[in-house]
This record gives sequence, C-alpha cells and structure tokens, in this order.
Amino acid sequence: MPDYLPLLLMILAFFILAMGFKIQIGLALALSSLLGALVSGHGLALRHLIEGGFGYLETILIIATAMIFMKSLQKSGMLDAFAALLLRSFHRHRLLLLFSMMVLAMFPGMITGSSTTAVLTTGALAAPVLMKMGLNHLKTAAFIAMAGILGMIAPPVNILVMIMGAGVDMPYVGLTLPLLAIVIPLAIIFTLWIGSRGVKSLKQSELEEIIASLPVSDSGWRLYLPLILVVVLLILQSTSFPLVSQLGLPLIFLGGALFTWGLHWKKLNFFLLTQEALEEALPILSILVGVGMFIQIMTLTGGRGWTVLAFLSLPPALLYLGIAISMPLFGAVSAFGSASILGVPFILALINTNAILTSSALSAIAGLGDLMPPTALAGMFAAQVVGEKNYFRVLRYCLIPALFELIFALGFLLGGPFLDKIF
Amino acid sequence: MKLTSEKQMNKFHLGISLGLLLLVGLICFLTGRSFLSLHQEEPIFPSAGLTRQFRLSHYLPNLSHTPGDTRVYLFEGQEKGGNILILGGTHPNEPAGFIATVVLIENLKVKKGRIFLIPQANLSGFTHNDPFEANPQRFFLPARQGIRWFRYGSRLTNPVHQWPDPTTYTNPAGQKLAGTESRNLNRAYPGQPKGSLTEKVAWAIIQLIKSENIHLAIDLHEAAPEYPVINAMVFHERAAELAAMALMDLQMEGFDFRLEASPPNLRGLSHREWGDNTSALAVLLETANASHGRLKGKPSVALIVEGRDNNYVRAAKLGRLFVPYDERGIPLSRRVARHLAAVKTLASYLGELFPHQKVEFSDYPSPQELLQQGFQPFLHSPRQER
Repeated sequence: MPDYLPLLLMILAFFILAMGFKIQIGLALALSSLLGALVSGHGLALRHLIEGGFGYLETILIIATAMIFMKSLQKSGMLDAFAALLLRSFHRHRLLLLFSMMVLAMFPGMITGSSTTAVLTTGALAAPVLMKMGLNHLKTAAFIAMAGILGMIAPPVNILVMIMGAGVDMPYVGLTLPLLAIVIPLAIIFTLWIGSRGVKSLKQSELEEIIASLPVSDSGWRLYLPLILVVVLLILQSTSFPLVSQLGLPLIFLGGALFTWGLHWKKLNFFLLTQEALEEALPILSILVGVGMFIQIMTLTGGRGWTVLAFLSLPPALLYLGIAISMPLFGAVSAFGSASILGVPFILALINTNAILTSSALSAIAGLGDLMPPTALAGMFAAQVVGEKNYFRVLRYCLIPALFELIFALGFLLGGPFLDKIF
Repeated sequence: MKLTSEKQMNKFHLGISLGLLLLVGLICFLTGRSFLSLHQEEPIFPSAGLTRQFRLSHYLPNLSHTPGDTRVYLFEGQEKGGNILILGGTHPNEPAGFIATVVLIENLKVKKGRIFLIPQANLSGFTHNDPFEANPQRFFLPARQGIRWFRYGSRLTNPVHQWPDPTTYTNPAGQKLAGTESRNLNRAYPGQPKGSLTEKVAWAIIQLIKSENIHLAIDLHEAAPEYPVINAMVFHERAAELAAMALMDLQMEGFDFRLEASPPNLRGLSHREWGDNTSALAVLLETANASHGRLKGKPSVALIVEGRDNNYVRAAKLGRLFVPYDERGIPLSRRVARHLAAVKTLASYLGELFPHQKVEFSDYPSPQELLQQGFQPFLHSPRQER
C-alpha cells in the first residue's frame, strides 16, 4: 500500500466523522487514527495511540492550569477591576491604549514562547478593556489571538526558532534584531487594522456608565498580587533563576490559582472554579490528545515522511509557495511540530541563506499554525476568552492580518541576501 | 412508569460508564506493560578481556541508584599506556554508537593502556521512545547462535525521570536552548553535580575523563541523512592534528569522512566541553541513519538495521541529502563498521603522536569483516553465555 493512502483515508474518515456525524473533534481524530492503524496492517496499535495521545501532555497541563488560574482571577474580580483602571487612565488616548493592549497581550508569549499562555493570561485581561472600548467580541478575539502569535515569535524567547536551531546546530544567539524587525511592524499594523477600525472614543459620561456597570471590589491592590506573582515567576523562569526554572509553567499557574484562592477564600470555591475551568478546556484538551494520536499514526504509516518529501520535491521557484502553504497548514497539528518536522528541512533546503534570518522568518510562518483548525490553540482560546463558541467567526477577522504576516515573512525570506548586510 | 424508565436509563448509563472504565483499565494495563518493558536492560556479554565493570556513580556518588547510573566497562592492559574513553548511546535513537561499543565490549582485549567503554551513556533515554516518531521499541541482530535484542530509545532522558522541562534551558555552559533540550545529554556538558539527572550524568562523565586521565575521548553518534554534519569527524581544536591524520587513513580504507571543527559558540556539546574542560583530545563521530530522519517512510526494525528507505532515495535524487544514498541504503553494519574503523585509527594515531599514550589491543572487531559478514561473528549467543 502506498504511504499516502492510509493518510488520505484518515483525513477522509476524520471529515466524515466530524462533519457528517458531528462527532466531537478529538474523538473523530482518535477514531480516524485507529482506522489508519488498522488499514495499514498495524492492528489496534494501542502503544502508538497512547504514546501519541500523551505527546502533548505538557501542553495539556499548561492549558488546564492556565485556565484554572484565569478562572480564579475572573472570579476574584481582578479582570473587571483592571479593565476599569485602564479605561480611567487612558480613555482619551485610544491609540495609546490600543498599543498598550497589544504589548500587554504579547508579553507572556515573549517570555514563554507560547501563544496559548499569552491569550489565556494577559490576553484575557486585555479582552474586556478592548470590548469596553467598543471593539466587537469577534475583533477582540482576533486582536488577542494575533497578539499571542506575535508574542510567541518575539524575542527574547522564540521556541520555534530554538526547535529549528536544534535541528541544524544553530545557537540561539543574534536573533533579537531580526525577530524584532518582523514583530514590531506587524504589531503596529495589526493594532491599526483590527483595533483602530471599530473602536470609538469614549465621552466621560459613557466611560462613567461603563465603569459603573463593572462589579466593584473592595480588595484594592490585593487583587493584582496573584498576577504579579505569576508574571514575576514567568520572568524569573525565563532568566533560569535557580529553583524557579525547575517549576515549569503548570506549577506556576496552579500556584497562582491557589494564591488567588488563599487571598479570597471566603469568596471563591476553588473546587467549583477548577471544575468550571476544566469543563471549558476539555474540548480543546481532547483535540490535543486526538491530534497526538493522529500524528503518531501518520508517522507510523509513512504519511509524515511522504508529506515532508512532497513539499521538498517542489521546484525551487515553488519552494516558497510550499513553505507558505505547508507550515501554517501543519500548524493544525502543532506550530512546534511544524517548526520541527518542516522547519528544519526547509532551513536545510535554503542552506545558502543566512540561517538566523531564515529561521526567524520561518518561525513567523509556523506561528500562524496556531490559527489553523482543528487545534488553533491561539484562536480557539481567544474565542473562548470572549465567549464565542464558533471559532470560524473569529478566524474571519484573523485572515487579513495572518495573510499580511505570511507575505511579510516571505518577503523577509526572499530579501535575505539584502537583509543579511543589515543585521 | 416514568420513574421506571428513568431508572432504566440510569442503569444503562451506569453500564456504559462501567464498560468504558473497564476498557480504559484494560488499555492502561496493556500499554503500561509495553512501556514498562523498556526498563528491562538488554544483556551484554563482555569478552574475557574485561578487567572491571562498575557504575558511573563511581565518579559522582549522588548518581547512585538513579536511572542515569549507567555501566562503565574497563579493559586494562598489563602495561601502562594511554587512556581512551568511548561513549555510545548518548542518543539512544542512534544505534550505531551503542552497537559499536557493544561489539567492542564483547570482543576486545587490551594489552597496553586502558579503554573505558560506556555503551549507554544516557541510560534513561533507553527506557522510552520519542512521541510522534513511531519507532519500534527494539531491534534485532543475528548473534553467533540465535538472535539478540537491543532497545531503540529516545534522544532525550525519560521525562518520568526528569520533569518538568523548563520553558527555555540555559545549559551549564551558558547556551540558551529550547526547554526539551534540558534532557539532551549532548547539550548538558560540562554538567553540574547537583543539577538535573542529565546534568549529573554529564558531570560524572567529565569527572571520569579528569580522574582517569583520559587522553582521547570519542563520542559516537548518528544523524539524519538530510543533516549537514554527517559522516563527519567533529574535533576540538586540540585534536585537529590527530583527526586530520586519521582521516587520510580512513579514506584509504574506503570510509568517506569529512572533518568538522567544533564551533566555539555551540556550547554544551561533548566535542566542545570535553576539550575545554579536560585535557583529553575530544572527537565526535557521525554516521547517516535513515530511521532518524524527518523524511523517513514507515518506521520499522528493517529500516533501523538495513537502512533502506525509498523516501531517502528520492530525496538524494532531489539533491536534498548530504550523503550519497541509493537503493542499497546505509545498513547498521556499515554504520558500525565506520565507527569501529575510526576509533581504531584514532587510537593508533594517538600512540604515534604521543608514544607514552600508546594503547595496544587484540581481537579488535575488523570493520571489513563486519561489512562482509554482518554482526553474527561479533555478538555472543544469548543462550550459550547464560
């Protein structure tokens, strides 16, 4: 049986199960993986299904604990208090406020290299402020999703480049300038494109009305302590501070949630909010398990190698087209997987160019994978943060910025020989 | 009536839940047994030339009784001479280095000097597989009588033994890397005595090199055929002359090597940190392993042992590879033979460059014989030895 056949059958089965029979996406992925194993003669391949299913355990734990942390902040009243504070301070300077929201929503991504962390932490802080400024909830979700992706690409921590660098023995040095050269113009453009169109200036009376509608909390500055603790721990972790670097993101988020509960134990029912947070996260977590199974069986049946080779077989002129299509598309499985499986061969295929510039540009393209369904980590969580159930409605507003990022990054790749002289 | 149907529904749901729970339990049992089976170590049968076998914790006591406390095999000659360390299994998904050291352990006799062999440098990495790579858990090789089995592990330390990964990892040499690299032994040098498990292993190896006055330290690896540093001899600058001399001999023997100087800014790797932190001459050897690459077709035992893959044949025709690759593939026997030939040549030139560091041995497995006859003459029978 040719290597591509089980993969094609798996994709077909997935669409029939998910679209035709409306089976939950995670389960549809798991069942189509099982089918792939069976038709390729590997039997039930239980070991592979479980090994793949656990492949994203780390990501799953990060998402679950970040959701618990955000739920605890929300229940403590911190999100509303923060929105009120920012609106009072900046309501006359809407562009300044928008840009500060963009930087705020990018920040955790910059220090953790994860768009999910950015969206679920400060992205969730920025969302109510943006909506109070008049941005509709879909544009708000698109704004924080794109900010999360930019945060993931921005220095100092770009895990996508680190993964590609590990594959070609390129040390993680000299990347700050090239990455900033990609991220800063995009951040300005995204803010103006998504943010400024649709945001209204607020009159003092409107502002007072909005602020009055926000629940009042008498906890004052204590509200912000858990967030400050988590941000400090995230920064210390990125600087390899002793002990903190060993904690890992799940423990940091869980610690933040427990700290919030400790401060507001009379108001918060920790077990109930944990249950609520996990219930909301469960559909996405199950998708990650399903995707893990899918990619493992795709490799087992030879489909992964066939796919990578198909893109590498493109003539040089079409290679850039292959990069533009395959890397974001593979992000449907995982942006990090895209960097590892496709990014490394693409850097090698472009071996005559500057690897630092190439990997920086490829990371911007791979990062877009976090918008690609079914996983779409940045997009799905951004939709969840604003209470939108249909992610595709959010994706509509991400398309133009994403396309712009793609073209910009391709320009960076093509202009490599010229840019080489600048950086 | 309604109450009865509700009761029936409840019973139905309870039945479904219990059934699912049992199914999950069964899957956990079956897969758990499969994963745990990787903790069973494959037998290695040392030759009569073995002088001593001990654990790496000899050089770092707090490594004792940890999953990183790997075996060290010492072959000592009657006469004093040079000291050589050969490391296999730094990356347990690169079997040529592991098997080359096993073949040496099962055949070698040393007359002069000492040879230290560590076949499974990252022992923890042998206890699991890389998720998404779908590699077999074991592969099989013909022995003098019967078949021997060996584990095909992961590039990294088992997360069960070292967890969680930091978001980013700054290694003991100060290099910033992706968090998962914190479990990569060949990024953890010079290690730390109180660091992570991987860093402790790295530290203990450095202590071995220092306290045993190792003159030549060789780290055996494999890489994907699409990787630029392939079929390479990567040398620390102090080992440049030795590597250059060995290269000429190896090429005359028909083994195509290329020399690569260890990049000074790529920190944490054996060829850099062994050379910078000890007095040993440090060399790392690479061969081409198709089962290791991103372009591989179906992962299988045959792919590991025979090294044939149609995807790589196509990739070679497209000019995407850094080694010649055709329908014959690059079998494990050839990859191990390359390592053995390079180790022998390097050891021989060590004695020529520094006569007091000469190491003499007998019963060294012949690379040419290995190429012609495969592993059978060089691996002990599992039954006979028991």
